[in-house]
Amino acid sequence: MADIIVIGAGLNGLVAANYLAKAGKHVLVLERRALAGGQAVTESFGAGFQADVLHAGGQLRPDIVADLDLARHGLPESTSEPLISLHPDGRQLRLTADSDSETLASIGAFSKRDAERWPDFVAFMNAAAGFLDAAYRTPMPRLPHVKLAEGLPLARLAMKLRGLGARDMFRVIRALPMSALELTEEWFESDGVRAAIGAVAVHGATLGPMSAGAGFSLMHNWLNRGGPGHRRVENGIGGLANALVAALKARGGQLRVSAPVEAVLTDDQCARGVRLASGEDILAPIVISGADPRHTLLDLVGAPDLPPEFVWATQSIKMRGSVAKVHLLTDGAHALPSGTLVVAPTVRYVERAYDAAKYGRTSLEPYLEITANGPVVSIHFQFAPYALRGAEWSQERAVLERIAIDTASNALPQLKSSIREIKSLTPLDLEKTYGLTEGDLNHGQLLLDQMLFMRPMPGWSTHKTPIDNLYLCGAGVHGGGGISGAAGRNAAAAVLRGK
Amino acid sequence: MPANHYDAIIIGAGHNGLIAGAYLARAGKKVVILERREMVGGAAVTEEIFPGYRFTEFSYVVSLLRPEIIRDLELPRHGLKILPLPSTVTPMDNGDYLAAWPDHEPTRREIYRHSPRDAEAADEYGRVMARAAKAIKPVLSLVPPDPSSMSWRDMVGLMKIGQYAKSLSEKELYRIAKLVTQSSADLLNEWFEFDPLKGTKSASGIIGTFLGPHSPGTAYVLLHHYMGEIDGAFRAWGFAKNGTGGVTAAIAASARALGAEIRTGASVKQVIVKGGRAAGVALENGDEFHAKVVMSAADPKRSFLSFVESKHFPDEFVEQIKNFRVRGSSGKLNLALSELPQFTCLPGETPLHRGAISISPSIDYIERAYDEAKYGQFSKNPYIDMIIPSMIDRDMAPPGHHVMSCFVQYAPYDIAGGWDDTKRDAFGETVISTIERYAPNIRNIIVGKQVITPKDIERIAGITGGNIFHGELLLHQLFFLRPAAKWADFRTPLPGYYFGASGAHPGGGVMGAAGKMAALEVLKDWR
Repeated sequence: MADIIVIGAGLNGLVAANYLAKAGKHVLVLERRALAGGQAVTESFGAGFQADVLHAGGQLRPDIVADLDLARHGLPESTSEPLISLHPDGRQLRLTADSDSETLASIGAFSKRDAERWPDFVAFMNAAAGFLDAAYRTPMPRLPHVKLAEGLPLARLAMKLRGLGARDMFRVIRALPMSALELTEEWFESDGVRAAIGAVAVHGATLGPMSAGAGFSLMHNWLNRGGPGHRRVENGIGGLANALVAALKARGGQLRVSAPVEAVLTDDQCARGVRLASGEDILAPIVISGADPRHTLLDLVGAPDLPPEFVWATQSIKMRGSVAKVHLLTDGAHALPSGTLVVAPTVRYVERAYDAAKYGRTSLEPYLEITANGPVVSIHFQFAPYALRGAEWSQERAVLERIAIDTASNALPQLKSSIREIKSLTPLDLEKTYGLTEGDLNHGQLLLDQMLFMRPMPGWSTHKTPIDNLYLCGAGVHGGGGISGAAGRNAAAAVLRGK
Repeated sequence: MPANHYDAIIIGAGHNGLIAGAYLARAGKKVVILERREMVGGAAVTEEIFPGYRFTEFSYVVSLLRPEIIRDLELPRHGLKILPLPSTVTPMDNGDYLAAWPDHEPTRREIYRHSPRDAEAADEYGRVMARAAKAIKPVLSLVPPDPSSMSWRDMVGLMKIGQYAKSLSEKELYRIAKLVTQSSADLLNEWFEFDPLKGTKSASGIIGTFLGPHSPGTAYVLLHHYMGEIDGAFRAWGFAKNGTGGVTAAIAASARALGAEIRTGASVKQVIVKGGRAAGVALENGDEFHAKVVMSAADPKRSFLSFVESKHFPDEFVEQIKNFRVRGSSGKLNLALSELPQFTCLPGETPLHRGAISISPSIDYIERAYDEAKYGQFSKNPYIDMIIPSMIDRDMAPPGHHVMSCFVQYAPYDIAGGWDDTKRDAFGETVISTIERYAPNIRNIIVGKQVITPKDIERIAGITGGNIFHGELLLHQLFFLRPAAKWADFRTPLPGYYFGASGAHPGGGVMGAAGKMAALEVLKDWR
């Protein structure tokens, strides 16, 4: 019998399982789908049509890679890609965190002054991301009655913030609630540069570059990407999960795929196992869920077993996904440059794209991120709101595909004629196929009121739930989201502390 | 002391400047308050723009004015009289309305009429918000400590805040943390379902702020407006006898009685710096005033970028002030009317005419109004908060006639192409036609109108950017970051130069806390 059941073989579930197995626990990971990886999967949609389905890149936090010795278990290499912002007049703006001469020359073509400021901006963003990384590693206790053992790491975090020096400390604090526009205005004069960074800020979030709080999501995305562009994983992002599965097995853990969990079994407000959709009951003294908090608590546990106020708080978690994906199989003649290609020419362009989402419409002029892997071209589309007004995703899919392809082809003229097959994923597909409630990649929007000690909700940042021995480890809890594994690492530590 | 030599000079006779001057005079200092205009009051003035019709030109309601200031300065004795502003009514597109009164039972019945669920939620919501406002209030009356500093004063300040936070319950603490960070739309959507109710409540979250209700941070602005207290009752709004000019007139009278001198028509050009200290001011007309201490109650941009040469400040400070957001987002339409406007939903003259009338049918309505403003246009369908001062105070207009004060958002300071007379007229016309949808006779009863754009607020009241709070109440411009990091304690990098205006902690509205706290800090430093 297993000591611990982990629901979901996404990266966070697998990271948590590995840490626990490393600590000597017997861990069983149950995955609904036939393959492990959750959002970080490489899948085939037909002959020659293999794609990184939801994320074009990502990296596990370096401490996790080291702790779990993943290099020995086949963790694939990843390489940082430049972000290339495509402009209607054919100009391309190239941004990297290395501030190499090509980057500076590219920025210089937009603004000499901005090119001069770029290295300082990168240094600031790295410092800010470093602080956020430290915050994501610090356990977030329940407020206000913080015990000494919990208070010390918080005090260390505060010292780390002060250690940045007064200037950067205030810059970081100020930047968190700022809009991406305000933040970039303080650094750059070129609208093109501001827009490209604004796009990174709203990537995966239902926010516009003019929304307050996009400064925080910029730091978050910068941390997870390691700069403006993605980190592309060699041979597909699915390699990350494969390495984690191999490591788990080597540590004696088990993985069962095609084993969808239907319910968390409880006994007097205490978890005692799970029931699979097949009717099979699997018992274990501890259950950890990598699914999003709302699905875990309201569907798998069920509102009747939870305090009413907690149910209300869970229902109030802001999910609201507005990302869609359009994958294209081409004949290979798409002529895409390599890199993370972005359609976000002006700040207003991205903001207008977001405006549509506010009122439940698909952006007619969307912000896109386009990546190519051999003949396969993947388009990340924002904004396509989960909750459409006056339309259904069954019909809207065709609209989405047309807008995505037309917009991408405007920027990349040879793309359109090279397309052979299309596979699109609407926010509804993200919910149905990938188990993301409301299609939210982050299991809860990255907003200031849903971060740190308020993630997933106020008072429950400790990975615990009102059900004893039921823990949360997915992207919706402290440390998540994004492809980083931080939430899984934190949850495992909480489980081990709780013992 | 020779002529023109004082202990302290205050720049600007707005409510904060007057309050600061009064407190310093009360402590026995020889004070002069210098006002650029020919009248005192700043943005809290009542002016007879058309003979017989008295307009509360800019600021038009009172609630936030701190009760201890009213007591300390004995303002009632100096003529302050606050009349209750009893209700808010939101006309609906279907000819019905949603009303709210200070009394619980009728308000509950009214909301119940529209949504039984919301009626139930409203009680709890009101309690939660009042508790949150009460809980956060003590922090607002603290001098913000500098979290980067190691000085004993700042460490003690930080510890005080920590201890205070520990004294709050878990629920209160999280509630405040959420209120400070979330959007007013998210806050209200958690509680309510009825659009006009959500729209009207969300409007408090955008006033003076260049953000829409969907933008994070707006719940704090909403909470800021909950901190009003009149006669000990939270969330009570009032109208001063003789308009907001009546408030500043009372403060000025009190200041004078305490021995402060007020000079109008005295436009400050520059702060005189001698030996690295502020030593006085020079006026535009060449006159000089000398003093040990100079305090500015003007906005941060004028206080630090115009009155003082940048060489007297560290670059970092100047950069922060340059980055301080003062985006004006609202305008006003002041109307002289030959009779009472007939709102379709409120025929005749009703008690509801003595309260606020709010054009805020839904959150989306206000958000769409913001969408236009963020791209540099005034809203085609703006949010409007109207009061009819002559219904509350009959002396505001000739008998049988009325004045109406309409606060309008959004009107961006940086309108595309810049403000000019044509655009001002178009803006006024848009507001009138919006009101006309709910009060069809409005156009025919106008005998005089004054349209105020953010540019006019800047020009007349001297507030850079025309922002009614001297700087938006954004999270990154509050507490120890207002107006700049390390300088939120009402001092400035120039010794002897202090800052006590809405652009300082705890922010805007006719509150007076900044003026009072700044004066007390001056006295602490006095040697």
